[in-house]
Amino acid sequence: MTFAERMVHIDRRIIFLVIGLCTLLPLLHPVGLAINVSPEVRAVHDYIESLPPGSAFLLSMDFDPASKPELYPQAVALLRHAFKRNLRVIGMTLWVSGTGMADQVISQVAREMGKTNGVDYVFLGWSPGVGSLIITMGQDLYKAFPSDYYNQPTSSLPVLRDIRTLRDVNYVVSLAAGTAGIETWYVFGKDKYQFELGGGCTGVIAPGLYPLLRSKQINGLIGGLRGAAEYEVLIDQRGLAVAGMDAQSVTHFAIIALVILCNAFYAVIRTHARRSGQERVGRVAEE
Amino acid sequence: MTFLRRQLPLLITFVMGVVFALQYYVPHPASEQLLTTVNKWLQIIGGFALILGVTSLFHQHAVKIRRREPGWGYSFVLYAGMLLTVAIGLWVNGKETSNGTMTAFGWVYTYMMVPLQGTMFAILAFFIASAAYRSFRARSREAAVLLVAAVIVMMGRVPLGEHLLPISGDITEWILNVLNAAVRRAILIGISLGAVALSLKIIFGVERAYLGGGKE
Amino acid sequence: MRGQASGVSRLLLAVSSVLAVWSLPTSTDAAELSPPRDVQAMDTPSDEGGSVIVLWAAAEEEDPKILYQILLSDGRTSAQAEPGAPATMARLVAEVPSNSHYVRDTRWPWWNRPAAPGAHLYEIKSNKQFQLKDGTPYIVTVAAVRGGERVESKGVEAVPQPNWINWSQLNNLLLVILFGGAVLASIQKAKRREIFLRRIPGLDAVDEAIGRATELGKPILYLTGAGDMSEPSTLAAAVILGRVAKRVASYETDLLVPHRDPIVMAVCQEITKQSYLEANKPDAFKEDSNFFITTDQFSYTAAVDGIMLRRKPAANFFMGSYFAESLLLTETGASTGAIQIAGTDSDHQLPFFVTTCDYTLIGEELYAASAYLSREPIQVGTLRGQDIGKGFILGIIAVGTLLATVGVLFQAEWPGIILDLFRDLK
Repeated sequence: MTFAERMVHIDRRIIFLVIGLCTLLPLLHPVGLAINVSPEVRAVHDYIESLPPGSAFLLSMDFDPASKPELYPQAVALLRHAFKRNLRVIGMTLWVSGTGMADQVISQVAREMGKTNGVDYVFLGWSPGVGSLIITMGQDLYKAFPSDYYNQPTSSLPVLRDIRTLRDVNYVVSLAAGTAGIETWYVFGKDKYQFELGGGCTGVIAPGLYPLLRSKQINGLIGGLRGAAEYEVLIDQRGLAVAGMDAQSVTHFAIIALVILCNAFYAVIRTHARRSGQERVGRVAEE
Repeated sequence: MTFLRRQLPLLITFVMGVVFALQYYVPHPASEQLLTTVNKWLQIIGGFALILGVTSLFHQHAVKIRRREPGWGYSFVLYAGMLLTVAIGLWVNGKETSNGTMTAFGWVYTYMMVPLQGTMFAILAFFIASAAYRSFRARSREAAVLLVAAVIVMMGRVPLGEHLLPISGDITEWILNVLNAAVRRAILIGISLGAVALSLKIIFGVERAYLGGGKE
Repeated sequence: MRGQASGVSRLLLAVSSVLAVWSLPTSTDAAELSPPRDVQAMDTPSDEGGSVIVLWAAAEEEDPKILYQILLSDGRTSAQAEPGAPATMARLVAEVPSNSHYVRDTRWPWWNRPAAPGAHLYEIKSNKQFQLKDGTPYIVTVAAVRGGERVESKGVEAVPQPNWINWSQLNNLLLVILFGGAVLASIQKAKRREIFLRRIPGLDAVDEAIGRATELGKPILYLTGAGDMSEPSTLAAAVILGRVAKRVASYETDLLVPHRDPIVMAVCQEITKQSYLEANKPDAFKEDSNFFITTDQFSYTAAVDGIMLRRKPAANFFMGSYFAESLLLTETGASTGAIQIAGTDSDHQLPFFVTTCDYTLIGEELYAASAYLSREPIQVGTLRGQDIGKGFILGIIAVGTLLATVGVLFQAEWPGIILDLFRDLK
């Protein structure tokens, strides 16, 4: 086996090791390159910025622990921004396995920003139904969630004053790792109850949501860890996402380098095979 | 018996299919109430179906233990994990925190489920690299175009790439917003038509393979 | 002195002329502010209730200084006053500029518009400040306001009601019926003569994959995806399982079908059993070939990866809808050297399947698989009907783009009549 052939069939574990090092080292020694903000992330930020204090902001954290690395920083950044703008925050989730994590993030950021449960924010938790849950929320929020995650009756909470249905919510953002997520909120929510809808999602499903963005079904989209980093830059509170961008940069370049190398070795193998084929034809012709 | 296994399911499928296809065109609150009610039925059926699934799981591992198949010890681990988590969950009423302190269920969630799920998702990063190394080869003109686009988007989505090649960010935005959106829409149209056709076949009883049983 | 005097008088004359011209009443100043004309109020058409609309005629030239105020009062209050009199104790709902809120700016298509496009329209919906109760009469008044002037129209009554039919979606229903008709007609045509189907390499490779597994004496792994039985992709996967199981049965190869959903497991068990019966191999059927693992995404993935690494199936089929687990499954399968055939409508996972699998069925090729493998006229006819639908949509996109461009270039409204027919299709 030639060197090129050996490299093309290299043991996967060497590739895993390269990726592992490319992720770990920048986290230990960050560089901190500038991050350009995309229009779709800015759109979400600007809409929250335009809401007057006291407006109702619903954040649906539709993800499970597997998507925590990408969507948790988005949730933190959005909540920080919303609390800074003194919006009334309503947290919930459509994914039962994400309930504990959603409660964790909203409680943690609220504590950090000095906000009070029941007065400045509420965490409704999870309720079964997905589409029918959203429809019920659109008709009567208190029927969908008679009590919040901590068993406080929702109808008596000051934070939900004057909010009876989804029509009374000024902005809904769904942070989604798949189905149920942004499309569910659009089909069962915005299409019927006409509130403004924004989205946040994992990097892998972001390209699939651009048609919704282009047709203005959602007003903005925060895609993956990069989107979270852009949002952190916008609110001037750099956190986990910005810290992760250096690692992501180096890892992307490592993959690019590996792909280029693989193609180079592949080209060498093909050239060699073509030359061997030509030599063999030549020898046969002579004979 | 044939009526219960064939005609009745087909009749139910037809009636429910037509009713809920037409439900979309009825804005009256009664129509939404009907949808909500039927969704609740689905959840109840799903709950019962879970019993079916868990029974199958228990049976499969019981057979494994009885036959002492390779790895039968892990079947005991599965039983213990499942029963313990259910017991703890019922004991604390499914809550991860109680008066600010973490419950045992919360401990299992935070220190077992969250890291394990995160680890599985993180493996994707390594697999993407090994899959890209193995498959991103310029075997043809189309493959070469794919390769170039992939490299530009990978560069454009990270600060280092935009720092080294500032235009990669703009090209990436254009690829995502124009090319990608157009192609996704095309795939979506095809998939949607296919789904409508399949749904019509099932509602009108043309497609019956999902019922099992024999052909008539 | 006389010269100076005549100069001053000329100056005074000039100044007074200017002042006279300046103070001449303009056409707007001269016209009295008149109340809005042809005011009508009615229940909002094609909605779920809790809302009324008010319509009034647009002026020939809308003065930008004029504002329209929409006032609402409870019908019972004004019933105590004289009929037709302006409502008393009315609530101000909105104040809009005179050059806004036209019928043409609303969401209604042309066949469901409540008035001519040039008329004004305002929709009054229940909100935080007040609730409109279905069945309760309300009096709506429109007032024109300009500076300190204000004139009101007569009050008109409207009763909000929920509607049974959303006429705005009529185009949607008609197109679905048309498409259904095309599918049924194609099925009839397919029963009479053979219809050409292009080659789908992934489906041609199914036999090859099953044959390879039999030769190597290794099992076949078949996954039906993450969805439940309500998803078309899962249904398609179950139908294909039937065909695959029939061929597997004839070779008596082992079949492993781990599931994420118990209902899908029950359905696939029946399908597999039937396939073995049809292949005349009922004894070869194993009850536990279809088994449930878990509904959790990554727990299921870990379990299936374990099965792949331990049992080393020779052929892996990934049919249905998938999410993040797709690459974990296919990359592990590739490491065992299995031949892999995938079919999914999850477009976000297609890149991963295409790079790691030997064959991939993209989107509707998955739905076509049943027709392709069986060649039954009904199945093939449906495929043909789908293609007719796609061709129609392609044509409409081309024509629609042209019409929309013409409409914008020539400021014409007539293209909208045709474009509205395809509006809001979902």
